[in-house]
Amino acid sequence: MRAAVLLRTGGTAAAAVLLLLLAERTLNEYHLRLLNVVGINVILATSLNLTNGFTGIFSLGHAGFMAVGAYAGTLLTFPVARKAMLLPDLPRWLAQVEWPFLPALLAGGALAALAAVAVGWPVLRLRGHYLAVATLGFMVIVQVLATNLDRYTRGALGINGIPPYTTLWWVAACVAATLVVLGHLLDSGVGRALRAVRDDDLVAQALGIPVARYRLGALTLGAGFAGVAGVLWAHLITVISPGAFSFLLTFQIVVMVVVGGMGSLSGSVVAAVLLTLVPEGLRRLEQGAVVAGLTIPPLFGLSQIVLACALVLVMIYRPAGLLGQAEVGWRHLRHLRDLRQRRLPAREAEERG
Amino acid sequence: MRTVVLVLALLALLVGPTWGAAQPIPIGALYGITGGMSSIDAPGANGMRLAAKEINARGGVLGRPIRLVVEDGKTDQTATTTAMSRLINVHRVVAVGGLNDTTFVLAAGPIAQKARVPFVTAGATAPQIPEQVGDYMFMAPFGDDAQAYVGADYAYRTLNARRAWILTDQAYDFTKTLTRFFKERWTKNGGTVALEDQYRGGDTDFSAQITRLRAQRPAPDLLFVSAVPNEAGLIIKQIRQAGIRTPIVSGDGFDTPLIVSVPGPELADNVHFTTHAYVQPDSPKPEVQAFIKAYRAAYNRNPENAFAALGYDTLYLIVDAIRRAGSTDRAKIRDALAATRGFKGVTGTITYEGGRRVPKKSVTVIKVTRGKLAFAAEITP
Repeated sequence: MRAAVLLRTGGTAAAAVLLLLLAERTLNEYHLRLLNVVGINVILATSLNLTNGFTGIFSLGHAGFMAVGAYAGTLLTFPVARKAMLLPDLPRWLAQVEWPFLPALLAGGALAALAAVAVGWPVLRLRGHYLAVATLGFMVIVQVLATNLDRYTRGALGINGIPPYTTLWWVAACVAATLVVLGHLLDSGVGRALRAVRDDDLVAQALGIPVARYRLGALTLGAGFAGVAGVLWAHLITVISPGAFSFLLTFQIVVMVVVGGMGSLSGSVVAAVLLTLVPEGLRRLEQGAVVAGLTIPPLFGLSQIVLACALVLVMIYRPAGLLGQAEVGWRHLRHLRDLRQRRLPAREAEERG
Repeated sequence: MRTVVLVLALLALLVGPTWGAAQPIPIGALYGITGGMSSIDAPGANGMRLAAKEINARGGVLGRPIRLVVEDGKTDQTATTTAMSRLINVHRVVAVGGLNDTTFVLAAGPIAQKARVPFVTAGATAPQIPEQVGDYMFMAPFGDDAQAYVGADYAYRTLNARRAWILTDQAYDFTKTLTRFFKERWTKNGGTVALEDQYRGGDTDFSAQITRLRAQRPAPDLLFVSAVPNEAGLIIKQIRQAGIRTPIVSGDGFDTPLIVSVPGPELADNVHFTTHAYVQPDSPKPEVQAFIKAYRAAYNRNPENAFAALGYDTLYLIVDAIRRAGSTDRAKIRDALAATRGFKGVTGTITYEGGRRVPKKSVTVIKVTRGKLAFAAEITP
């Protein structure tokens, strides 16, 4: 059994590496860039689902945590020579650091997680709408801080010329790390405890689950991954400004989680991929065209309209999201095979149990 | 063997016509057509489309028509960068024009620079843009230094003001830069600054700032307001409602219908602002008249603001460079752009001097009297 798991994991990893190599060799810059954006959105959506979907903490602060990571990572990797020019008032210790990407990624994630602890401590006493509004407040505070801490952030001017370290490999590695950590966590006793906290925190407490600590832990971990995504994003776009980490961004991520299914990790992955690629696919339609002698005028804004309509339809016909709380993964593929072979060991075991 | 010949012949038949006909030259237009920048970026895109239509009607350039590929950056940094990448890698454009906001230009510019595609920003005015992005980055508008200098000179010489009150929006790169350059020229001219006050984009109540302004003794004889369109009208309204009739001077952030519609024609009085061109039907310049006529014919309305004219000029500037380069090679187009001398556009004459890729260009001053806009001066700093 152990060997089979190893084989499977190794096989998946090898296949993924091959696919990435193939992508890097054959795709143009535009498609590679899109893949990077997809990966970053996957990290953001799955990590938000940990709090919003699995733990029942409806957070609207994800863009704020992402901003913390983005600014922290940028200040650490930014070339010393350009720091002297763009950020002359940085404290000495910060002005003289120029870290490689990996430690900056980790530091960005860690700082965002730290911010989550600081915010979560008071805020997680709240529930429902109050919690949502409080986390939204955190996001606004981060934005205001980024606008006013001119010494560190250049305020509204933003920092440009960030080294473009983000490659497909970094993004893929971070996506893999996120999915593996979250997948294993949610499959473990901790994951079940988190779901118990979500479904009924009183019962969870009666069962001996330290509710407050678990909620704080979920928020912290989710924020950590958002911070990592922020560092990746900053080094992909190469410009950060406070305006980018707005309510709109938070909303986009929340939509991905809701559309994919609150409480479905694979649902978040599917939604992040779809909601990133579909608007790009619609670009061609937006530009207008001449089809069979008919001139279609340009329809800019079409992608947003189509997306909005799709959202409404999903909410009407699948209010729990595309996948609800179901998951698609290895185990489910195997289950399908078993179904075909009419063995159904899982079901039998369940009935016996 | 015979099948091979047959297949080749068929292929030749299929490919032949496209070989014979002139292939269109793809040029990119990147604008935030939807989202927060829409009110100035959409007219810009319309201006560029109008120019493309005119150029093709006159037979294109180098004997080939141009194909303008318009992409929407959605006023979002991620979407703007992917759109730039799509223009370069999918549409294989030979040059890109567009974008009116510095933040987005600084996000999209490095992508064009890396791919060595000339990129001309139609309306972003931060003078350090080309330096920060690289040698393939050009500006079609003047820099903020130029318009702030003209604002300061106009206030000192034409309005005869000596003592200024300065109000700056702290939320934008543009407003802070404008104030910095205005103050530099103002004090050099011999003017004094009574008080420097500030607010933050999104504020709606300026009574605290106005109270401090009224407390100034002697009273300032000039109000320099560095604002973006959103607050421009509100600030005028509240200052005038407080009974202060001192002249107000600002930059192209005031080039919006809001400065008249929000305060109303009674209060929108004695306001002066610098901008790219006076694009109104009563303009004295024939090239502006011609542009307005063409814009009306194409879109059934007057140009919304100067950014429509800037988009129009940007495409003509790029096509002019292609013609002088005699080639669609991107490096040659870049060199031709850098060598632009005395290019006559609707928004003024563009010359890139001494390796600078910010044009030396005239600045227009517009005066608002009782809600009516009028051309006041055209000054080359």
